[in-house]
Amino acid sequence: MSATITAADAPLLHLSGVGKTYRMGDATVPALREVSLTILPGEFTALMGPSGSGKSTMLNICGLVDHPDCGTVELDGADMGMLDEQALTMIRREKIGFIFQGFNLVPVMTTFENVEYPLFLSGIAIEERRQRVNDILAKVGLAGLERRRPDELSGGQRQRVAIARALVKMPKLVIADEPTANLDSTTSSQIVSVMHNLGRIIGTTFLIATHDPRLTLLCDRVITMNDGVLQ
Amino acid sequence: MKWFIFAGKNILRNRRRSLITILITAVGTAGILIGGGFALFTYESLQEMAARESGHLIVAHRNFFTSDEDTPMQYGLDNVAGMKKRLEQDNDVRMALPRVQFSGLLSNGDKSSVFVGMGVDPAGEFYTKGPALTVVSGATLSATSKADAPAEIMLGTGLARQMKATSGTVLTLLSTTTSGSLNALDVAVCGTVSVGVPDVDKRLVYVNIATAQRLLLTDKVSTLSVYLKETRQTDLKRAQVSALFPEQTVRTWRDQAYYYTAVRNLYNRIFGLLGIIIVVMVGFAISNTLTMAVVERTREIGTLRALGTLPQQIVRVFALEGMILGGAGSLCGMLAALATTFIFLFADFQMPPPPGRSVGYPLQINFSPALYLLTTLVLVLLSIAAAWLVCRKMAAKPIVEALTHV
Repeated sequence: MSATITAADAPLLHLSGVGKTYRMGDATVPALREVSLTILPGEFTALMGPSGSGKSTMLNICGLVDHPDCGTVELDGADMGMLDEQALTMIRREKIGFIFQGFNLVPVMTTFENVEYPLFLSGIAIEERRQRVNDILAKVGLAGLERRRPDELSGGQRQRVAIARALVKMPKLVIADEPTANLDSTTSSQIVSVMHNLGRIIGTTFLIATHDPRLTLLCDRVITMNDGVLQ
Repeated sequence: MKWFIFAGKNILRNRRRSLITILITAVGTAGILIGGGFALFTYESLQEMAARESGHLIVAHRNFFTSDEDTPMQYGLDNVAGMKKRLEQDNDVRMALPRVQFSGLLSNGDKSSVFVGMGVDPAGEFYTKGPALTVVSGATLSATSKADAPAEIMLGTGLARQMKATSGTVLTLLSTTTSGSLNALDVAVCGTVSVGVPDVDKRLVYVNIATAQRLLLTDKVSTLSVYLKETRQTDLKRAQVSALFPEQTVRTWRDQAYYYTAVRNLYNRIFGLLGIIIVVMVGFAISNTLTMAVVERTREIGTLRALGTLPQQIVRVFALEGMILGGAGSLCGMLAALATTFIFLFADFQMPPPPGRSVGYPLQINFSPALYLLTTLVLVLLSIAAAWLVCRKMAAKPIVEALTHV
């Protein structure tokens, strides 16, 4: 809880009147209803709620991998609704990291290569890539495992790789979708701690969908969602 | 390079499937190269046979090929010695051989048979014919005739059998002269020959050109066949010879090689169709493999897209995978085709005689760098195109859909 956030900070992420409806056969299911939310830089925010409450939809829209049906999404002061798919991809590449519940590592890549991938996409020189990957791997406690592939790692190690991959490019925002759901309690605690500490060091903003109370204890803010509405 | 390594690793995900795809591509490539190499060998052999038969260039009276003669040698060439001399001054010309074409009846006293005769210069004629003419028995014609003996004649094997003639048998040639009257000449058989076509061997007669002229009562010749040192110079030399003798007509061996042209057209269609079928099969194999890969990796594609990978970069990875599969298959196919080419070169396999012929020919496969290059290029481009076709939609699929793909 050591965030140094002030009211004067410009919001990193601002959602205003965002709605999203899915069509399932003939029926339409509202996933988000006129949601407005402001996330400040450096905030460690948890998004809680029962299954089907709209958490994942919210994360997808905040992570710019899905489009709202209505409302506006602003990241770093820019309206994302004005941008085409290519521009959104470039913004995700530079500013947003993702941590998935199922780790979503590329199975044919080694630990090093998985973490290096976002830097490679950004066109960072190989020497700098090597240094930054080694640094982040050391910070998440994976030094010495650079050459292992995901199937040679435990669940906790895989999620550490995913965290390193999300943070290696020092993004402004990390979207984490239930990052501890597939892990045992001890490993979960370690993962939560790693995310929190690195987030603080790098100054990254976290938006985390979770059911894990240990995670919420470390968050600056806990937002609860129900039926597509923020409580 | 990074993308290439990534594509290579992706290919190794399902090694068995990739291996089968590479094998299919290799078999297809080898099939195209072996079939194409065989066709090229056949074209080359027929081209050589045709050129040996007619000469690379045939110089004749301008009406010789287009009009029927009223009397023999009406459209013959005069002063052929001077033309021959001028032609042979060209360093690219191996020799120029005059020929007299004639026909008539051949009699052994008991029975007669129709013949198609050729008066030739024995010294050059049998040298240039090479494997296109096989001396079956006896000897070839002498360069000069003995004054006190009948002129020499060589018969096709079929005609010799009809005439019950062997070396030394005296026969009578009967033909129409240039003035339209009949003339007869006693000739002695010096040998029998075969051109490998039974229907031709039943009618074939070779005599010295002087004998033919004596029979026809003329000093003209029908044509002057020009043999070049290099077949590829045919068109160039045709233009030069046409300019040299503007009053005459000059044709190339290709104009006269009806069998060569027919076989080439037939083979082009057969092997062309086979090639298309093989290419389509390889295309299906590669697209099938990559379709499975795309479906299996849908979530991964979604993840990569979320991380900031552009759709075209995803397509690039799959295109590289297609390129590697197609390239590896083509390389293996090339090696297999090369090995087969060498085996056939030394193993002396024989093809059965083609329709209308009595002798087979060696089964060999030509190595053509252009064919190898073209085949590889087509298959690699096809592989890339197949990859592009199967993954372009998936790469552009909404990320959320891809991430939730099961």
